[in-house]
Amino acid sequence: MFSQGGLSLEQAPPISVVLRFFVTASIFGVLLGLFLIVDSLGLASSLTSNKSVIITHTLAVGIMASFMLGALFQMLPVIAGVVIKMPTKKAMVVHLLFVIGVILQLYAFADASTPLLYFLASAYLGAGLFYALFLMLKELIKIKDHSSSSKGMILSLGSFGLAIGFGIYLLWSLGGYLDGSLFLQVKELHYSFALFGWLSLLIISVSFQVVEMFYVTPKYPTWMSKYLTLTIFTLLILKALAIFMGIETGSITAILAILFILYAGFTIHRLYLRKRPTSDATVWLWRLGMGMLIVTMLITLVNSFIEINVEIKMFSYLSFIGFALSIVFAMTYKIVPFLTWFHLSNQGYMEAPMMHDIVHPKTVKRHFYIHVAMLGSISLSIFFNIMILNMISGILVLLSFALLLYNLIYAIKKYNYTQKHTEKFEW
Amino acid sequence: MEKIFLDAREMEHPEPLQTSLFYLQTMSEAQYLYMINLRKPIPLLEIAKERGFLSFTHQDSNQIWHILLTKNSETTLEELLDV
Repeated sequence: MFSQGGLSLEQAPPISVVLRFFVTASIFGVLLGLFLIVDSLGLASSLTSNKSVIITHTLAVGIMASFMLGALFQMLPVIAGVVIKMPTKKAMVVHLLFVIGVILQLYAFADASTPLLYFLASAYLGAGLFYALFLMLKELIKIKDHSSSSKGMILSLGSFGLAIGFGIYLLWSLGGYLDGSLFLQVKELHYSFALFGWLSLLIISVSFQVVEMFYVTPKYPTWMSKYLTLTIFTLLILKALAIFMGIETGSITAILAILFILYAGFTIHRLYLRKRPTSDATVWLWRLGMGMLIVTMLITLVNSFIEINVEIKMFSYLSFIGFALSIVFAMTYKIVPFLTWFHLSNQGYMEAPMMHDIVHPKTVKRHFYIHVAMLGSISLSIFFNIMILNMISGILVLLSFALLLYNLIYAIKKYNYTQKHTEKFEW
Repeated sequence: MEKIFLDAREMEHPEPLQTSLFYLQTMSEAQYLYMINLRKPIPLLEIAKERGFLSFTHQDSNQIWHILLTKNSETTLEELLDV
């Protein structure tokens, strides 16, 4: 699909492997929207005292991890040239453990008083995610001739492993199975490795290939594609050591922020240099995502020297979510229509719908506007905590993910319809 | 032989694959696809190989890839290279 060396679409997993994770992510997104609406009516507080943890983990695990797992099952063969054997069966096992784990985890946070729930959540989620990591890393480390993307993916998955390990420690501490004496330190490492390590490194690694390929841009500078992911990972490890040794980590965080700003700046510049600058909402999403990454990192940079107020900090978290979601949406709207068309076309269906018939560019634009409105509305909610704004934010989150879910279901229906009702061509 | 020419150098993904697959599915034995691209299109070559097409690839001094594909097993594609 994307790259050259060792790339094989023939080895790409069946479309169901990817879509099951994307659909799950969208459903969690819809549920998040509903939760925010309930919360805006003042009803969530009576259900739980852990609202922010529930929202964070629905986003980070239910939505982002779902998207990333689906994308990884698809991209490992095509970007890194590695094959996971029997992908349908293995993805199903990962998916089942993962979904049960996420639900248990959210329930554990909501209930907050049943230790067994924390343990079960860690068992299911840990088993599902570590199994996925094992399947992917086992194949990735066998590669002899690594590209910048495959190296970055290893570092990203390594960070994910650490984030999961730290997460399990936190769940066991919350459940009372551990004394939790390192709770605060581990919590900081948990989100540092999850957000700056796993999520960001994965986006960076993949972008080194897809930005150039999808949008016909010049390549990233070699020093960046070769060393950026390793430098970020090394800084995160140094940060972890510093936290455990009780050393101030502000300067490490500042360097990390500068590196992310540089990366985002270069990406926006690459997109500006596109050879065929057509109106494409997935490019808008990339630009928006990179802009929001810059905002996050500028705030992080300032915060590593001066203490900033809570609202600005909250805004930096939101802009990071905006960064990650924008890129995920951009990739989903490229991957899903392509896979639907490709699998059908390769099976010999001459009447396979073209990409524009599966998800029309106007639909992606519509989603972009909803996404921007959603981010704008949540930003305002942070600074002006008004019920109506909170409710509009919830409705827009719901709308955004419902539209994505609809588009995914539409693609699945088109796929099934073409297989059932059109003629196969032997070629 | 009739040449079907495809300049994919400024096409965004997956247009080169879409267009070339369309040509492969519809072209006759008296035709061959001559594609130029900035990268070697491994997926296309794999699909073509699996479907029994003859292929020839060459990267010129400007780093441009020339990809020649035909159904006709009697053809010597190297001779059709235009660099």
